[in-house]
Amino acid sequence: MSLSAAARRSLAQRCSHLRRESPLLWCHRSSAPQEHDLGSRRPPQPWSSRLRSRAFSSPSAASEQDKPKISVTFVDKNGSEKSIQVPVGMSMLEAAHENEIELEGACEGSLACSTCHVIFMDEELYQKLPEPSDEENDMLDLAFGLTETSRLGCQIIAKPELDGMRLALPPATRNFAVDGHVPKPH
Amino acid sequence: MQATSPVDPRVLDAMIPYYLHQFGNPHSRTHLYGWESDEAVEKAREQVAALIGADAKEIIFTSGATESNNIALKGVMHFYREKKKHAITTQTEHKCVLDSCRHLQQEGFEVTYLPVKKDGLIDLGELKAAIRPDTAIVSVMTVNNEIGVVQPVEEIGKLCREHKVFFHTDGAQAAGKIPINVNDMKIDLMSLSGHKIYGPKGVGALYLRRRPRVRVEAQMSGGGQERGIRSGTVATPLAVGMGAACDIALKEMAYDEEHIKALQKRLYDGLTAKLQAVVVNGSMEHRYAGNLNLSFACVEGESLLMGLKEVAVSSGSACTSASLEPSYVLRALGVDEDMAHTSIRFGIGRFTTVEEIDRAIELTVTQVEKLREMSPLWEMVKDGVDLKSIQWTQH
Repeated sequence: MSLSAAARRSLAQRCSHLRRESPLLWCHRSSAPQEHDLGSRRPPQPWSSRLRSRAFSSPSAASEQDKPKISVTFVDKNGSEKSIQVPVGMSMLEAAHENEIELEGACEGSLACSTCHVIFMDEELYQKLPEPSDEENDMLDLAFGLTETSRLGCQIIAKPELDGMRLALPPATRNFAVDGHVPKPH
Repeated sequence: MQATSPVDPRVLDAMIPYYLHQFGNPHSRTHLYGWESDEAVEKAREQVAALIGADAKEIIFTSGATESNNIALKGVMHFYREKKKHAITTQTEHKCVLDSCRHLQQEGFEVTYLPVKKDGLIDLGELKAAIRPDTAIVSVMTVNNEIGVVQPVEEIGKLCREHKVFFHTDGAQAAGKIPINVNDMKIDLMSLSGHKIYGPKGVGALYLRRRPRVRVEAQMSGGGQERGIRSGTVATPLAVGMGAACDIALKEMAYDEEHIKALQKRLYDGLTAKLQAVVVNGSMEHRYAGNLNLSFACVEGESLLMGLKEVAVSSGSACTSASLEPSYVLRALGVDEDMAHTSIRFGIGRFTTVEEIDRAIELTVTQVEKLREMSPLWEMVKDGVDLKSIQWTQH
């Protein structure tokens, strides 16, 4: 089930302060003071769209159309390129999923895997990113085909300085699939 | 105690349960066997880290210092190969370091092998001159396994940090014997060995700095164990043994040092009181007390070893004991070939007793005197002939 843009906006507004809390808590507070009575509340959101509204960073109240966009090019392991427009504030993992680019995000952006590993092709733009945290570095250590300009796609948030960045997709991820199986985005 | 050491009974006690009833695979995440095995490995990791002043997350268990050295050198050079093509090491390193460097040279990297001074220490000026913009790593062992000299690691670390080059040190003979702090000494990678510090054989560790992060290309591919750097099931009993050994070493380091220093003095004084022309190879000041490498003029090392069968010594090191070449370490010190052939390495450790030292002195003196009695060279030296002036005929 999906909501209209307006309804999503108001939901996101009310729940923006809950972004980091557990989805169970989110469920409880989204309606009038009725507890544990699933029947009388509005039917719960499908997991994926709840996640999407949670994963936006601060300017999540405004709609996606109003935000400035930067262009990002993804280059896959065969060399074919796909250029997309990414609104400022969206992570590269989100952007890839929205544009059907094959970037796995097994842990859905919670810094618990290395499957959204991307490689920066421009060193200068790589230097403009903030330093990776220890947790990100720990996950990067496990990534297949790690390079000096590797980062996790879920930690790269679009900002104006990164306009025109080119990201290469590594030839494989740690989720072994030598038979060519590609897991669907979660 | 250079080639190896006996397992401390306390270490064996810690290991046995993990062979018998607590035999789980530490990577099994779904049951108690796995959890308790994992807990034991993590505790061992902390114990190893505490010995060198590191964080537990920076320790990777391997099969020994040889593997750790391989990962350190080949791993760093391969990972940074786009921009960095040069490595620096010394001529007195352990064979696994030198062989890895030669292998890297085959692959197209460049390696500088720094010479050492007569006392076995490297010259810091030469090291500074050798560092280039494309140098990725400097590898200098902390304590040499053949001659026991201690390199100036703090100064080397400082120099490497200034030039933004990774500093790797082979600490197999040093960790647990002399105090080490990887932060004070600015060490980025360090290899450790279990069986040199009264732990089991078949286990070692690699310290990999996290801030600033050192990246290596894994040499073992697989399931991504040990932070993706060393795939393969971690041998819980061995890791626990190494942890226990490190823990004991940390607590008893000062006591062991006193004991070993006293025995070293006893051995050296005992030998030099009765024998002439005994030369110590390597610096006496910058030395780990448990190693004494001596050359006895005009006595052939191998024949002396045959006579000293009761004493477990070696000429050169264990890994060179099968080859006929005299030790390359002694050659690097500038020791003449004839003296290099006469060298004997005595190792003293936690479990060495005074009786053993006295017996070693007695046997060595007897053998050396007997061999010198038979030696025409010794006669000539006693008569004052300079051996170097003799023209030997070939036959």
